Amino acid sequence: MPMRGGFLAELRELKEEIMLLGSMVEKAFEDVLTAIENEDVAKFNEIIKNDKKVNSLELDINEKATLLIAKQQPVASDLRNIIVALKISSDLERVGDLAVDMAKAAQRMDRMSYFKDYQSDLMAMATKTSKMMREVLIAYQQGNVIEAQHIANVDDEVDEAYGQFVKSIFTIKIDDKETAEQVTQMAFIARYIERIADYCTNIAEWIIYEVNGERFDLN
Amino acid sequence: MSAIQTVVKEKQKLSLDKDVQEESIISAKGLNLWYGNDQALKNINLEIPEKQVTAIIGPSGCGKSTFLKTVNRMVELVPIVKINGNIDYHGVNIFDSKVNLVELRSSVGMVFQKPNPFPKSIFDNIAFGPRVHGIKKKAELTKIVEKSLRASGLWDEVKDRLGESALGLSGGQQQRLCIARCLAVEPEVILMDEPTSALDPKSTLKVEELIQELKEKYSIIIVTHNMQQAARISDKTAFFLNGEVVEFDNTDKIFSNPTDKRTEDYITGRFG
Repeated sequence: MPMRGGFLAELRELKEEIMLLGSMVEKAFEDVLTAIENEDVAKFNEIIKNDKKVNSLELDINEKATLLIAKQQPVASDLRNIIVALKISSDLERVGDLAVDMAKAAQRMDRMSYFKDYQSDLMAMATKTSKMMREVLIAYQQGNVIEAQHIANVDDEVDEAYGQFVKSIFTIKIDDKETAEQVTQMAFIARYIERIADYCTNIAEWIIYEVNGERFDLN
Repeated sequence: MSAIQTVVKEKQKLSLDKDVQEESIISAKGLNLWYGNDQALKNINLEIPEKQVTAIIGPSGCGKSTFLKTVNRMVELVPIVKINGNIDYHGVNIFDSKVNLVELRSSVGMVFQKPNPFPKSIFDNIAFGPRVHGIKKKAELTKIVEKSLRASGLWDEVKDRLGESALGLSGGQQQRLCIARCLAVEPEVILMDEPTSALDPKSTLKVEELIQELKEKYSIIIVTHNMQQAARISDKTAFFLNGEVVEFDNTDKIFSNPTDKRTEDYITGRFG
């Protein structure tokens, strides 16, 4: 493979683009959480609008990865790098979509203050997830298998927090249509956060595959 | 132990024995080879599976072609060669003094890098080997020629011009003719030394498809510099480096997740 040097540079570029995609998605998630906390309705629209950039970057990564496979015919670890880039970029794009779903659900809630008692639990769960997100991106950048395994363990904590949260909001006495809608949207938001943690776990699994060539179902 | 358990155990044992028997047709054991003072093969231990394609890859000068030529003892045509160790073919060491070289080379045929048809007709090229083995009857030779050309996928292209010179065929056709010539003496093992390196992509594809068909009846060992080719057509791959076998495993494993770092570095183009 005479193009080795160029190929390595292109693999590095691919990873950098995924890090960029990761930071965009991470920011969308952080922004939606802050907006929920501050009831910043204007921010929701901005988050929804920004998702287009996430989608187009994912498409760009897909195209680059496909071209690399076609032109360089990679094998072994080189091939895994590219396959994992495709997988992780698709997981990240889904996280971006979930941040948008959260923003839309929050838009449908017009009396967020009503839930102040429960919001801290939701935010605690979100903070854990957000930490997973940050750490899994660093682990991907560094190819850190041990960290990837550790991150996946946190998913259990998020799942548990999600279960408890849903249980607690379903104790709210629903006596009108509006309250029912509010509780439903709150449950959706929690569900989306839990899904984001699942995607972080997926990414952790892909990191292990990239480094070791073995697939692990971490959660 | 119940009667049924005993039967099951016996069957398992039998199928296990069968697996071992079926598994390797050629096994190199502690094989060393020197060209004068230069050691070209170092303690090679390889089990070549029957009716499968085994690819040998490695950088130039790693000993892969030497190994191939050792399997039918052609390497001994080089006067300064010294060999120790065994290559067992059906359990018999091919270096044993009782082994008949002509028989060995018809059982273990070879196809070379550059197509090398004889400057004879297509028919005579294929009939050459059987004639050497004493087959004289025209009807029988005609049958062998057709069968071999069909097996190498060349029959439909040449059936109307069997009397014409083989040198008039295209490079790809010539190579398939050489494969047909090799099949005409009914070998069990076919050694191929970079058989497509002189061919265009379309002829390469035809030869690769042919190899896939041939493994139903023959055991094939192919030396190739084209790693994608090894990945495409072989079941097992051996990676040679500096006269040694660094790694020998299923091709899927070698090209997705090799065990040895040197294999990984070679197949990903980090050296070689």
